[in-house]
This record gives sequence, C-alpha cells and structure tokens, in this order.
Amino acid sequence: MSAKGGIPLEDSILRLENITKVYSNGVVANKDISVDFRKGEIHSIVGENGAGKSTLMKILFGIEQPSAGKLYLRGEERQFHNSLEAIDAGIGMVHQHFMLIPTFTVAESIVLGMEPRKSMLFLNKKAAVAKTRTIAEQYNFDVDVTKKISELSVGAKQKVEILKTLYRNAEIIILDEPTSVLTPQETEILFDELDKFKKLGHTILFISHKLGEVKQISDRITIMRNGESRGTFNNAEITMEELTARIIGRDLISSYDEKKHDWPEMTPVLKVEKLCLIQKGQKRLENISFTVKRGEIFGIAGVQGNGQDELIRAIAGLTGHVGGTITLDGTDISKLSIKKRRETGIAYVPEDRMSDGTAGEASLGDNIISTYFDRPSLNGPFFMRGRRINTEARRLIKEYSIKAESPSQKIQSLSGGNIQKVVVAREHNTNPKCMLAEQPTHGIDIGSAEFIHLRLIEMRNAGAGLLLVSADLDEVMGLSDRLIVMYDGKIAAYFSDIKGLTRNELGYYMLGVKQQTPEEIGGALHD
Amino acid sequence: MSEFLSVIFSEEFLSTVIRVLVPLLFASMSAYIASLAGIPNIAVEGIMLMSALFAVLGSYWTQSSWLGLLISIGAGLVMALILILCTIKMGTNPILVGIALNTFSASFTVFLLYLFTQNKGTSASLASIVLPIVNVPIIEKIPVLRAIFSGQYTITYVCILSMILLAVLVYQTPLGMRMKAAGLDERAAKTAGIDVNKVRIIAVLISGLLAALGGAYMTTGYLSIFTKNMIAGRGWIGIAAQAMGGTNMLGVAITTFVFSLFQAVTNVFSLYDLPSELINIIPYVGVLLGIIIFSVSTYRNSKKG
Repeated sequence: MSAKGGIPLEDSILRLENITKVYSNGVVANKDISVDFRKGEIHSIVGENGAGKSTLMKILFGIEQPSAGKLYLRGEERQFHNSLEAIDAGIGMVHQHFMLIPTFTVAESIVLGMEPRKSMLFLNKKAAVAKTRTIAEQYNFDVDVTKKISELSVGAKQKVEILKTLYRNAEIIILDEPTSVLTPQETEILFDELDKFKKLGHTILFISHKLGEVKQISDRITIMRNGESRGTFNNAEITMEELTARIIGRDLISSYDEKKHDWPEMTPVLKVEKLCLIQKGQKRLENISFTVKRGEIFGIAGVQGNGQDELIRAIAGLTGHVGGTITLDGTDISKLSIKKRRETGIAYVPEDRMSDGTAGEASLGDNIISTYFDRPSLNGPFFMRGRRINTEARRLIKEYSIKAESPSQKIQSLSGGNIQKVVVAREHNTNPKCMLAEQPTHGIDIGSAEFIHLRLIEMRNAGAGLLLVSADLDEVMGLSDRLIVMYDGKIAAYFSDIKGLTRNELGYYMLGVKQQTPEEIGGALHD
Repeated sequence: MSEFLSVIFSEEFLSTVIRVLVPLLFASMSAYIASLAGIPNIAVEGIMLMSALFAVLGSYWTQSSWLGLLISIGAGLVMALILILCTIKMGTNPILVGIALNTFSASFTVFLLYLFTQNKGTSASLASIVLPIVNVPIIEKIPVLRAIFSGQYTITYVCILSMILLAVLVYQTPLGMRMKAAGLDERAAKTAGIDVNKVRIIAVLISGLLAALGGAYMTTGYLSIFTKNMIAGRGWIGIAAQAMGGTNMLGVAITTFVFSLFQAVTNVFSLYDLPSELINIIPYVGVLLGIIIFSVSTYRNSKKG
C-alpha cells in the first residue's frame, strides 16, 4: 500500500495505517486514520477540540491502544502497550499541562525515571547535573539545571519538558498545544528551537489550534475533524482560508457587524465611578470611571496584568473593599455580597474556567445551575428538584451544542471549549442585565469561540450590557461597540467608535507609549 | 524546683529521652516513608500494637527473643500488605483502610491476649523473653555519650541503623527520588516512566517494617509484657510529627525529638507526688501546641504567598 500523496515509504519514520479508536463507552475518537510522518519535518496536526488529535497522540505515545489499524516505526510494525515502550522506541511527548514537580531541581526532573547511578545502588547527583547540562548546551538551551522547577518561568518549564524528551533520546517529539501558555516572545524562541531540532533530524509533531502559528512553522499539516483525517497537505499548498474551512467544516464569519442589531433604549446599566483599589500597599486600580449601556458590548483591552483582572473582580464582588461606587441599574452594589450583586443582575464569566468558573469534580448538570440553583423552579421546600434540574441541563446542553454524554458526567472530563460553553450557558441563563465576560474564549478552539461570540452578541441584541475583557485584540476589536485601554491600573484611552481604529494605535496605549487626556477619557463615563 | 532541674540536666534524663524517643521515631518514620510515596499510612498505631503483642507471643512460642522479633515484624508486614492490597490494588481510600486496621488491631490484640493468657489486660503470666541490653565498650566510659549510646535496648541500636539507612534511601538512591515523585505528582511520575505502584508497595512495606520495630520495642525493651492499648497514641504522635515535617526527613526527626522531650518530662514528673492524670496529658498537650503553632505558621505563609 502506498502512502497518501504518493510519498515514497522510505522517507517516513512513523506511519499510521487505518487507525481506529473506539472507547469502551462507544465513543469513536479516531476513524480510519492514515498518515505518515517523515524524518526531519515539522508536522502539524490541527483540528477543533474533540476532533481526535489528543487521542491520536495518546495512541502514538502508548497511553491508549488502537482498536484497529497498524503503526509502523522505521518500517517495522509496532505496538506500544504503555508510554515506557514508546519512550524506549524514541518517542517523546511534551504535555500541555506540564508534568513537573515544583520542588525538584531541573536536573532531577530531567533524569527522573532514568537516573544515572554510582555502584548500581546510589543516585549519582553530579552525573545528573553534568549530563543534563551537556544536553542543554548541545541544544543551546539557556536553563540553569540546578534551579528548582518552582523558580522557573513558564517558558523555561517547557524547555525542561523538551529536555526530558531529548535526555531519553527522542527522535520524534510530540508537542501538545505548546504555545497556549507562552508569551509571543517565548513562542518565537520555541519556534527557533523547533527549527533547530528539525535540522538535526528530529521529527516534530505539533498539535495546535492556532492556525497562524501552524502556517508559520509547519512543513506539512494534517487536518482532523470529527475523528477523521481531512487530508495531509504541504504547508505551501494550502491557504489559511482553506485550512479554516476544512477544520470547522464551513467558513468562519469574517465580521460580526452584520449580526448586531440596535437596541432601542441604550440607557446606562452599569456605572463605575472613581474606582480605586490598593492591595499590599500598591495601587492596583486608580480612578476608573466608565458606563456600560444596554445593548452594547463595552470592551477593555490591555496587556494582561494591568488591572483588568482586579477591576472585574471588584465589580463581581470578589475583592473586599474598594473605593468609589459601582451602580447597577440605579442600585449601588459596591457594598453588596456576591449573591446580592447577582440578584441585582450581574453575571460573570471568569477567566479561569477550571478554578473560578466550574467545580471540576462536580457534574455538568450541577455546574450548569450552580449560580441559580435556589430558584423555586429547581429548589423545592425541602429537596432539590432533580428531574427539573436534569431537564434544564439537557435543554442547555442541546441549545449550546455541548459535546457531552449526559448531565451526570464530571465537568472536568469535557474539553476546554465545552466547559466554557457550560459557563456561558449558565451565566446567560440567569438573564442578566449586565454580563462580565473575562477572556471568554481564551485557549479554546475556533468553532467554540465563534459560538460563544455569537451568544454574546445575541445577549447584546436582547438589551443586556456586556463588559468584555480580552487580551486578544481580534476578539476585543471584533466584538466591542466602544472600548477602553487599561495600562498600569488606569484607563489609558477611550474610543467611542472602533471603526478605523488600528491594532498599532491600540498597541501604543497598551504599552503606555501614548496616553489620552482626562477629558478624552471622561467620555467613557459620560458618552 | 532545683531538684527538678538537676534531674532534667542529668545523664539519666538524657537516657530517658532516648528511651521514649525510639518508639516515637519509628512511628513518625513509618508515617513519613509511606506518605512520601503518596499513601498516607494512619495505621501506624494499629501496626505497632499488633507487633507489640506478637513480639511477646513469638518469643514465648519459640523461647527465643530474636525469633519473637521476626514474628513481630511478620505481623507488621501482614498489616502493611492489607493496606497495600486495599489501597493500591483495589483503590480504597487509604484513610478508611487505616481506620479499619486501627480498630481491628485494638480489639483483635485483646482477643488474642485472652486466648493465650486468659487475661484481658496483660500478658504478665506468659514467660516471654526480652532482647538484651547492649553495653558498648569504650563508649560506656564516656560521660554524656554513654547515656545515649550505651546501655540501651537492642532495638535502640536497630533504630539508629534504620534511620541512617532510611536517610540514604530517601536522599541518595533513585528509589527514594521516585518515591518522592510518586508522592508529589503521580501523573508526572508516570509520564517519566516510573512504575508508581511498585514504588508505593515498597514504601508501605518499609513503613510496616518500621512500625513493627517500634511495636516490638515496647514489649521487648521498654516493658517486658504486653498490656491492652499499650501504644497509647504513640503512633498518632508519630503521624503528627510527620505532618509537620512534610517531605523533609530531618524536620520529621526534630519534631519527634521535641515530642519525646515532653514525654520524658512526664516520666520525671511522675516521680513526684502530683496527680498522675494531669501529668499524663503533658505529651498530648505538647503535640496539640505543636500542631497549633504549625497550623498558624502555614496559614501565615499561605497568606504571604
């Protein structure tokens, strides 16, 4: 059998033939996938959350076993029963969530499981440091191997993970969403390194849903959708638009403008005046004033860590005492408890969906009602109304096309995009006057992101006021009607109309290069 | 008061501290090694109690104190195996298994005691044999040192040796590093290719061995008979010391030493004409204070971070 696209077999180092994976619960995660990976290439695997990328990688790394199909490594048929066998065969994996122990040193983390010894029995700590240092130098990795993992930046931790695979002589390195945790600068450094590995003959399997990055570094791209392969392409032979269309099965909406409808009475709903916050002797928020109106999305742009987080938490009621006033629909809510604020009409989609947005061990059904479980329709005089909760959960699952088996499934077993849909569904379902959406599509696939964006616009069209915080400029510029830029705990700029606004212009304010006058900024409150 | 101080600063007092330190140290290290690998062993108390009884019964049956010690260790290992079977093989919560083992051994030891001695309180009627007291030449002539290193019960020397071996295991071998990894992050350990279950089984067996030695010490040295509930919370004090020391072995050892000082002071006070019920709570109050101080400082640190 010849591989797809007429590639001669000798080139391929790892080849999958008709791989199918059916989980014991009947879910088909991979269907008849054939793909070959060549020596010395960067091969991206793209697809939405739940498209089957992770399952395929787990099969390659021996964590899962295929239900059918064959795997050839260097022309030889192989089966991996566990990851140890895959590691021995020269396959390494860098997991999306780092597998590192904070109290271990870099050297210890790298050699763990394959420790150098002296006189058979004892740990050779000097050799561990020397060996890891040699590898780091060989690949030009600037990491101090005697440092503890907890002292490292996220980018450095990822380097340690890559060094772990190199220490184990990995020829094929699988990177699962490696850039999702990195800053743009760290991403550039990573890409340079990957390029170097490629030249040294390593094969890189790059899993991502950031298409810009995929186009930037890949030699070839395999597209996955609904557990099937939608073809492998040379990077040069496929355009971004074709790629997107194949991933989501249709074209993405290029502009949200036509989806927006005006709300007749754009009266103020959320008014924040002279908000100040001092934490640990540092000014976190200084004199923040703005108004969110019914039927608009009010955006907050800025580099992360410039007070957006503190601002949203202050409005939601998660921060203790703040100076200034927060008025919702005429009621001063700045002294109210979180619950009272929600009753007044606030909804909140937090940035961290795993720790603030959901309870991971609890079921999907419990999570989807957790902010309004005490509604009389769900909560009887003595007991919770189980059947109604179930019906409500099923309705929302359907309406938001959340991919899940049942409402009793643990929420943490869902993919990121689906978890975020649960959060948005829940908050939308409280029918809020004002919704705080904090990085609502951070780290989720484009299909789910678009779905959530359309929901936010729907809420706007129905007369809710939305406060959107996002570090993603495309998101904040694509959705907002008006926006402010935050820098160093203050409002740096206000734009009453975003048409004609460029990314560069925004960038100047985000980095503190430019600053508007107080009069200009005053528009945020008075317009 | 001055009389009391002169007792505290005497060689005899130092010797008392060592005597009460040994079972506590075995207990805390037993809890330490299991918890290091990620299986909290709260059955230390129960294992010590069981082994204490079997040391007496074993030496009576075989008429050899050494064979008695082996039988006692065997009993401790059987208890550890039950813990392994339930938690690692069958996935039960280790705390539940620990509770079961503790309540089981509290009553089962009384049952066995009655079976073999027709007495529900002590084994005084059994002619069991204790391990010898060891006098170390040369050291027995050196002041202060002789109080610590000479004239102690056999198992005290086993204790010193065990602590050295344990420290080497934990800090100088790949196995120790893997135990730490398995305890701190199971998934990380697994992806590094470590057989986490194997590492944990070894750790719990060592834990059982240490607790068994601590139990055997109670009836072959500290006392020469078994009495009902004779461990009297030593296992729990060990667990408390482990909790405070965390993954730092020296920290666990130092905490244990502080607790044993309280215990030794109690022994001194009991020579005076003071209400014994009041005196006997001293070590437990000490542990309570220790835990409070520890909790407050952890809380403060967590607020800082």
